[in-house]
Amino acid sequence: MQLLQLTDSALPTGAMAHSFGLETLLSEGLLEVADLEAFLTEYLAESGRLEAFFCAEAGKLAVENLSEENFPAGWKALNRRISAYKPAREARQASLSLGHRFAQLAGQLGIQSSRGRSLPVASVKARSSETHYCAVFGLVGGWLEIDPEAVVVAYLQQAVAGLISACQRLGPLGQHQAAQINWRLKPVILQAGQAIWQAEGEPPPCFAPLLELGSMRHPALHTRLFIS
Amino acid sequence: MIEPVKDALPARVNGSLDLTFCRESGQTRLRVVGQEPPLKVVRAFPQPGGGTLVHLHNLSGGVLGGDRLAVKVQVEPAAVVQLTTTSATRLYRSRSGLKEACQTTEIRVGEAGLLEYLPDPLIPFAGSFYRQTTTIDLAGGAGLMWWETVAPGREAMGEVFAYHSLETLLAITADGQPVALEHTRLEPARRPLTSPLRLGPYRYFGSFYICRVGVAPASWQALENRLNELATELSISGETLWGASQLPAEGLVVRAVSRHSRAIPTGLVEMWRISKQFVWGQEAILPRKTL
Repeated sequence: MQLLQLTDSALPTGAMAHSFGLETLLSEGLLEVADLEAFLTEYLAESGRLEAFFCAEAGKLAVENLSEENFPAGWKALNRRISAYKPAREARQASLSLGHRFAQLAGQLGIQSSRGRSLPVASVKARSSETHYCAVFGLVGGWLEIDPEAVVVAYLQQAVAGLISACQRLGPLGQHQAAQINWRLKPVILQAGQAIWQAEGEPPPCFAPLLELGSMRHPALHTRLFIS
Repeated sequence: MIEPVKDALPARVNGSLDLTFCRESGQTRLRVVGQEPPLKVVRAFPQPGGGTLVHLHNLSGGVLGGDRLAVKVQVEPAAVVQLTTTSATRLYRSRSGLKEACQTTEIRVGEAGLLEYLPDPLIPFAGSFYRQTTTIDLAGGAGLMWWETVAPGREAMGEVFAYHSLETLLAITADGQPVALEHTRLEPARRPLTSPLRLGPYRYFGSFYICRVGVAPASWQALENRLNELATELSISGETLWGASQLPAEGLVVRAVSRHSRAIPTGLVEMWRISKQFVWGQEAILPRKTL
């Protein structure tokens, strides 16, 4: 139930304001709504899988039960790595913005582990520190001692749902069609999530130049509905 | 009489280059610590301002299946180095039994040093397997201008995305802290490169990293704006797209995709000129390709 609430699109993280480059791809005619399902399938094989990997890594950080002294260094190193894997500034900043809001919210919810440990909110929320959405989501899942595979899959599910929702506002994509796409992608989401646990400790490859260019070129669009 | 071996496989090659550049009396000097064929450097050419230009040669004419190549470059403090190739790097078809070819490049740029790495494109032939691992560490005040472009194959012969696997790993760090990390694996038969996530209608792609440790984030933002103005000028929908973005620290990256072989190399030179002037206050000097 906790995971259901944390992935609910009504959770006030600001996710609705970001398209992560999708707006540019649709605006420049590089992506048609008809191709959205195929696009998201490839997204899950590349960018989605990379984010899922870091979501899982953050969950491990929670399980490792690092001392309050050691946690900030581990957290900082993880988020720096995530930033370095995100070349497009807008998409990186969007991930950081959502991460900070999610961390704030987690703090307000008073999330505690079943052993009574409180989330290290100070390190995660600090504006001066980098906190990516995938990382804080994984951390909170780990803290709540939810099955890590379920956390990763839930993260991917909400990411895909967010992109579909963005597409609904950008193109001729109806609610029924959107729901069908989301439903049909479930096996792909599961596959992407499960693949993380078969990796050998190194981030999976990711090749998404057009999506990155979409994010880099987004500030130059004449009219923009989304922040990223 | 010795019978010729049918389908004999070429010997696996372990080529290497180990180069150190140091600054002496205002001029950058090359010291070849070691070189094993097929990799070779012949000589260094002095450049205005105390820099030096070196061409990296591959005597095989390209990278063959099973080749193991290692390049190590040490740019000592205040040395200014430009590295280029003499032609495109051809990645040949891998014969069965000698699958993957790989190159490992390890670079360290010392304090206030500068490395410009400006090679010709990679051309992965049909059936090629290639893996490239590059690590670059920058000390305080050190700079890097690094580009790489990849062709779809021997397009003129009808080979487009016919390679088997092209994997690249790149880690740029500043004093050990990550600035840019990339790990890509292109397997056109498994994951279509024509996806609008990857290359869509485009065939060529390229990246250009511009880094200088210690430059204020506001300056990178200003350069991003300037390069994106140029990106808009150079971009033609359906033909070539450009974009630039500030990295999380110490630099900026430019990305490009194109349908045409010449568009990216030409545009990169423009991006380089602006960046060199903006970050170093110097003119970019094109590497000479003919003696």
